[in-house]
Amino acid sequence: MAAGSTYTPIATTTANGSVNSITFNSFSGYTDLVLIFLGKVSSGSGDLALRFNSDTGTNYSNTWLNSQSNGSSGRASSASSITLTESSYLDTVRDTLNIMNIMNYSNSNTYKTVLARSNKAPTGYAVEAKVGLWRSTSAITSITLFSTGSNPNFESGSTFTLYGILAA
Amino acid sequence: MASSRVSKVKGKVLDIPNPPTIGTATAGAESASVAFTAYSGGKGGPTFSYTAKSNPGSFTGTGTTSPVTVSGLTAGTSYTFTVAGVNPTGTGEYSSASNSITALVGTAYESIATVTVGSGGSSTITFTSIPSTYTHLQIRGIARGSRSDQADGIVAQYNSDTGANYSWHEIQGSGSVAGAVGVANATYMGMQDSMAAQTGGASIFGALVIDILDYANTNKYKTQRSLTGNDRNGAGYVNFSSGGWRNTNAITSIDLKALYGTGFAQYTTFALYGIKGA
Repeated sequence: MAAGSTYTPIATTTANGSVNSITFNSFSGYTDLVLIFLGKVSSGSGDLALRFNSDTGTNYSNTWLNSQSNGSSGRASSASSITLTESSYLDTVRDTLNIMNIMNYSNSNTYKTVLARSNKAPTGYAVEAKVGLWRSTSAITSITLFSTGSNPNFESGSTFTLYGILAA
Repeated sequence: MASSRVSKVKGKVLDIPNPPTIGTATAGAESASVAFTAYSGGKGGPTFSYTAKSNPGSFTGTGTTSPVTVSGLTAGTSYTFTVAGVNPTGTGEYSSASNSITALVGTAYESIATVTVGSGGSSTITFTSIPSTYTHLQIRGIARGSRSDQADGIVAQYNSDTGANYSWHEIQGSGSVAGAVGVANATYMGMQDSMAAQTGGASIFGALVIDILDYANTNKYKTQRSLTGNDRNGAGYVNFSSGGWRNTNAITSIDLKALYGTGFAQYTTFALYGIKGA
């Protein structure tokens, strides 16, 4: 069996308080991507959402499970993004941690699936798991994370870190 | 020119290549990427490939284009690099030395093996001869089952053990309700609804990330956890699961099978990774 070091840091972006979206577009050569967000918004509230290749069409869907009311589940079909958190998860007080696995992102045979988990302490929808789908067989060449709702800016210091994992 | 420095290719005598022009060396994890510009002066023999060599250590890397990666470096040690062209006659003169870099600490996460299902499908995916040199294992993949009507699950068995030596639990979201499942004395470790079905479009695949903890120790039963899911335009499942294998043997092989259907569809891919401990 071949073995090689991977889980490579690709890029880290730290928000400066003046933007409500972050785009990565240079990450070729891996099998999976892992994108980690830790932060909050500077005003109001919103959800964290994901788009690929600047596709704003209704080509996304997702299914989630969270800890609200001892466990709840929901779904969104024909959405214009993969919404990674529900019910104004992003706010101005508590940092949200979101780990997104963007699986087999460069293949041209399958739609693209995202597995994500979110945590926010101490209240609200504190734990959440999500599976999202982008109905496109195109290789993912750009990833945009943005805040939904009133599109509040990401608080200064919020971090977005992208890793690449290469299979043998 | 000495006879040992020439060669004939299709009857033509080749000179050794002239050296390329060194570029920038960039530090990597126990490695370096060495850039250069090919010689274009019109003299010397053709270049078939390039060799980059470290100083100290004389670690080498080869490639046909810039940059060339040199692996095997010691983290924290400073290196410079030179590059030479290579053809059937031999290795040409080395370039001048690059800038100095300090090799970075290597990652604890390594790729071990990958299986991708071909056009005929597959009933079982097996990783064998798993080295015991890591602390934890992770399996990442995308999966599609054979069932035509609904999603399928994936099961794992270790060391070909098909006895009732497993137990597993999961919490799941169906898109409308949250639920939980627990199975004791099972013959496999279950991860329900982690594969997409044939319905909903042939391009839809579920996804999974499975962690197998402390897999090589011989004192403890083994524990697995996973995050899996498949979404078919909103009709899907997402699951957290954990399970135990009541065996103290080191895990040396893993079988992955479909929970209900006959197996995995084309393009299903599972990759096995090892995570080192200190």
